[in-house]
Amino acid sequence: MIEVLWHGRGGQGAFTAARLLGAAAMEAGLHALAFPSFGPERRGAPMRAFTKVGQAPIGDRSASSQADYVVYLDDTLFGPGWEAELKPGGRVLLNTTRAFDDPRILAFDADGLSAAVLGRPIPNTALLGALARIEPSVSLDDIGAAVRSSMASRLHEPNCTVAAQAYQTADSLLAAKGVAGDPIAAAAGAAGAQGMEGAAAADASRAESPAASPAVRPADVVRAEAHIPRLRSQFAHAPSLDPADYARSTCFAAGHLVTKNAGWRSQRPVVDEAACTACGQCVQYCPDGTIFLKSRRVGSAKPAAALAQPDFDFCKGCGICAKMCRFGAIAMVPEVESLATPAGPSVPAPESEVSA
Amino acid sequence: MSSQNGTAGKGAPAQSELFFGHKACAGCGGSLAVRAALNELGPHAVCALPAGCMSAVGFNFPQLCFANNAIITPFAATAAVLSGIEAGLRAQGVKPDDCTVVGFAGDGGTADIGLQALSGAIDRNDDVLYICYDNEAYMNTGIQKSSLTPFGAKTTTTPAGAHAPGCLTSKKPLFEIVAAHGIPYAATASVGYLPDFVRKVRKAAGIRGTKYIHVMAPCPTGWGCDVDETVELARDVVDCGLWYLAEYEGPAVSGEPGGRFKVSRKPRQLGRVRDYLRRQKRFSALSDDDIAAVEAARDAKWQQIEAWG
Repeated sequence: MIEVLWHGRGGQGAFTAARLLGAAAMEAGLHALAFPSFGPERRGAPMRAFTKVGQAPIGDRSASSQADYVVYLDDTLFGPGWEAELKPGGRVLLNTTRAFDDPRILAFDADGLSAAVLGRPIPNTALLGALARIEPSVSLDDIGAAVRSSMASRLHEPNCTVAAQAYQTADSLLAAKGVAGDPIAAAAGAAGAQGMEGAAAADASRAESPAASPAVRPADVVRAEAHIPRLRSQFAHAPSLDPADYARSTCFAAGHLVTKNAGWRSQRPVVDEAACTACGQCVQYCPDGTIFLKSRRVGSAKPAAALAQPDFDFCKGCGICAKMCRFGAIAMVPEVESLATPAGPSVPAPESEVSA
Repeated sequence: MSSQNGTAGKGAPAQSELFFGHKACAGCGGSLAVRAALNELGPHAVCALPAGCMSAVGFNFPQLCFANNAIITPFAATAAVLSGIEAGLRAQGVKPDDCTVVGFAGDGGTADIGLQALSGAIDRNDDVLYICYDNEAYMNTGIQKSSLTPFGAKTTTTPAGAHAPGCLTSKKPLFEIVAAHGIPYAATASVGYLPDFVRKVRKAAGIRGTKYIHVMAPCPTGWGCDVDETVELARDVVDCGLWYLAEYEGPAVSGEPGGRFKVSRKPRQLGRVRDYLRRQKRFSALSDDDIAAVEAARDAKWQQIEAWG
């Protein structure tokens, strides 16, 4: 069974990609499952989707903690611990403008590629095209057939073009990495059981690859430590029912602010210290309450620090603060640029705009 | 406060925030309404929320996004639960002077599903504040029409097609329906004009008896606009006259039989309905004739509103 784990943001098309891959596998005569995994978080929040492909009907409908392919639709979701989600010999497909030396990572600018064809950066079909190049059981033709059977007709041609271009991009990237002799290409057009044999061959080639990761850590262990907060009940007995007390009892202490909303943004507000007048419009209109006044203007002297300051642990990057600012003091900067030049923990220095 | 917080140790922007770290979409108008209202009402406010976006994004165990006391109610029971909380606090003698028992329900949870409970609470004149954040459809379940969905809006249950541009009904006049009860205080507001909304929340908190505030809260996901357009659209809808900012003071507050209506903001000239509608994908199927019909309905409504004075 081939397992694919998709990392995306709500609204980015990760589940659509997972379904299209499943449909493509069925075009190739295989069995497939595709399903998303998300909580009550909304559009823009990190979410996962899964595709499972096999020769026999698949009964295991649970999420994959490790996969043969881990696909990142958003560069900002790729972080420490990525190796733990890979099966031995597994590969990462990453939508990014950054370059990676690791042979397990196939990285290309799927946003740019899709934007050039579709007019908007919708990276999912580009990543599917690249996946068709490295996964032998599903061909580019199968992806095309899945697009035609699952998407609105006006989307067929552009998305097939995107997939085909991404296939070529992946091909040249693999060639550049010196894995042109990979048996994958030979099997790419194969269908049905043949495709699975191809997959087996690819598995063998992966096992021989020096890139195969020897250490395997279950991803769930890592995630549990990071995500489950400590419960801190203050009360050995029943808490007071006075709202003044109760508001600060278990219901407050156990959960309030224990997990960040980080990883939600694709762009972040950057405050121009010189232009900010601390008028507070951004503070008032932020739906998340994540921009606040760091220090107030004293007399006519300007403090050194930015006056309005975003809390990047919780900011979702909606950009309402920038729209509300009457002084043009807030600019929305793509998150990847601020990643490229890691600034301080909370406030990026204004220089980061220049150097990025 | 911040000493108890797991991650918000530095700078503690959450010091004054009571609805923080929630999981709403970026640019959510409903969460802006809840945040602004709670910051005005203070930490002794007790919230009740029915099924809807704000309860779905606010109560993610173990992350609870309300720093004050808050509870989820059955869908139809927002106002009934508010009544019970208020009576319970009073009966136990633990209701602080600055405790407002406040409900936040969406347009579906108010105008459709929770209407009878709201009507009952107003009838008993329980000392509660009911805030309806109106994003004009059942957004939590994936954009289905409610009785506050405007004419022409495309939802999954009012699809646009060859024979219809979307929703065929108009918004239920809920503010007037609530006012017709003779409620002590009712108001309409918009997250585009937050100072006005916050002033009305403050005023409501100072009045004993049932209070109702209906706040327009755009939903980028359901309306089909960019996430940074929420506040602009919430202003546009007021400026073009498809929504209005008004207050109603019942006989007990105004001293007038039948109560008194008052318009809070009279646009000197109503903006173009077309510009507002065309900014949103949900109205993309409206024809020029449809837009003319929307405009005519707006003008008729404003004749009624202007008579309020």
